[in-house]
Amino acid sequence: MRHIDLVGQLQPALHRPQHAPYPDAIDHALFRAYMRTSHDVGGEPDIPIRWEEKQEEQWEVNTYVTCECLAWRGIWNAEERRRRQNVDLGQTQYLGLPYYGRWLLSAARILVDKQHVTLTELINKIEEVRKRHEKKSPR
Amino acid sequence: MKRSHHAEKSTGKGDPQCFTGEAGPAKFKVGERVRIKNLPDIFYTRCQVYTRGAEGTVAVVTHESPAPEDEAWDNTDKPEWFYIVRFKQKDLWGDYPDAYPNDSVQTEFSERWLEKA
Amino acid sequence: MAEKHKAAPMVDEVSDFEILEAAVRELAIEKGLFTADDHRRFTEFAHSIGPLPAARLVAKAWLNPEFKKLALKDGVKASLEVGIDWLNPTGFGTPSDYTDLRVLEDTPKVKHVVVCTLCSCYPRPILGHSPEWYRTPNYRRRLVRWPRQVLAEFGLQLPADVEIRVEDSNQKCRFMVLPMRPAGTDGWSEEQLASIVTRDCMIGVALPHPDRKQDDKRPIHPAVHPIQHDHGHDHDHGH
Repeated sequence: MRHIDLVGQLQPALHRPQHAPYPDAIDHALFRAYMRTSHDVGGEPDIPIRWEEKQEEQWEVNTYVTCECLAWRGIWNAEERRRRQNVDLGQTQYLGLPYYGRWLLSAARILVDKQHVTLTELINKIEEVRKRHEKKSPR
Repeated sequence: MKRSHHAEKSTGKGDPQCFTGEAGPAKFKVGERVRIKNLPDIFYTRCQVYTRGAEGTVAVVTHESPAPEDEAWDNTDKPEWFYIVRFKQKDLWGDYPDAYPNDSVQTEFSERWLEKA
Repeated sequence: MAEKHKAAPMVDEVSDFEILEAAVRELAIEKGLFTADDHRRFTEFAHSIGPLPAARLVAKAWLNPEFKKLALKDGVKASLEVGIDWLNPTGFGTPSDYTDLRVLEDTPKVKHVVVCTLCSCYPRPILGHSPEWYRTPNYRRRLVRWPRQVLAEFGLQLPADVEIRVEDSNQKCRFMVLPMRPAGTDGWSEEQLASIVTRDCMIGVALPHPDRKQDDKRPIHPAVHPIQHDHGHDHDHGH
């Protein structure tokens, strides 16, 4: 699987003369590397890191519970959740956001995608929550 | 409001138990040699790229369930048998050190990914 | 942002994640997708889980060959005997963990270690929440291909003739390791035995030892707003 070794180099460089390449620039290996689901990291080369524990944030537990409640009440199933939070986000968000940050985004997204709320409602709610906190601790 | 029937179906049984009896007879049995198919990657799968084309041995026939590729869009119409397949490390990674010939990896597949080796 | 009046600001500083979390939860409740009570009940459940029941399962299996047989054959059923019903708290389990526990038995010739290369599948109901390192792409990338290096980093070096068997937990099964009972524990009670079966032993990156009741000390990344067990947190307007 030659394309496994390419995946680590996929982050687009900031400055490339042409970001969306001509079709003939994409050979089979590169196509598969791009199509590879972002969660499938097994066997990618990486360097040793320091193994750490982490204390959970309150919002992280809340997020976990919200996601489980959405499944409990039939809004999504766990496989849909895994797809959305581990693959659909795309490589940049997948690798760049915290673990429960991805859970959270997928929960927000399912509300909109399945038309339980409009994006406008979500945006207004985020704004409302932000203002509420501002009022509590004025800058 | 549109809710998935899944929660209801699995209540009191659990998941994957709620799909028991829906896949028909299992195609492979414990001890059989199988090869992992190299199907196209598109949008979603739980079949890791590192297993594609590799040969291994069926270690456990686990349960029936819709394949992730279907269930990830809430389609549960066609459950399949699932299998834990064991691979020699050497058969997955050409550069695995010869000093540890017994080391292995095992992971699970829905039936569509397997063919007789 | 330069702030002119900094009385005790950091405490109330909220992150984008905190704002979005509250927004999503409140909207879901307002729209009737689930109730505030559902959320409260599942939160209680989330706070109630930990590695102790799994440790008791291991200790019981060490002491009772019949129970061990059951554990290897039907992990979910065996869990009942250590107080864990995998169908809790919803009636069909914790959705993301499913309800098919498999217990992997170590032998003198086989050492199991668990990873989920695709996300971080973990048997939460019986082992609690997964540690942060288990969720890292780094652990998930390397363990399936360089298990001996990774295990050595966890302080575990095994002879060449021991098969290291990596379980890549990728579907609906969940896995815990049943390690070998260490020497020096003759005559120990179930409780004594359970006390040396740490979380890491059941993931497979450590071995039980009669003198060790805790996992290796590692740096702990602290939370900015850690978990409030009394639900009195000021973000919880929706409750």
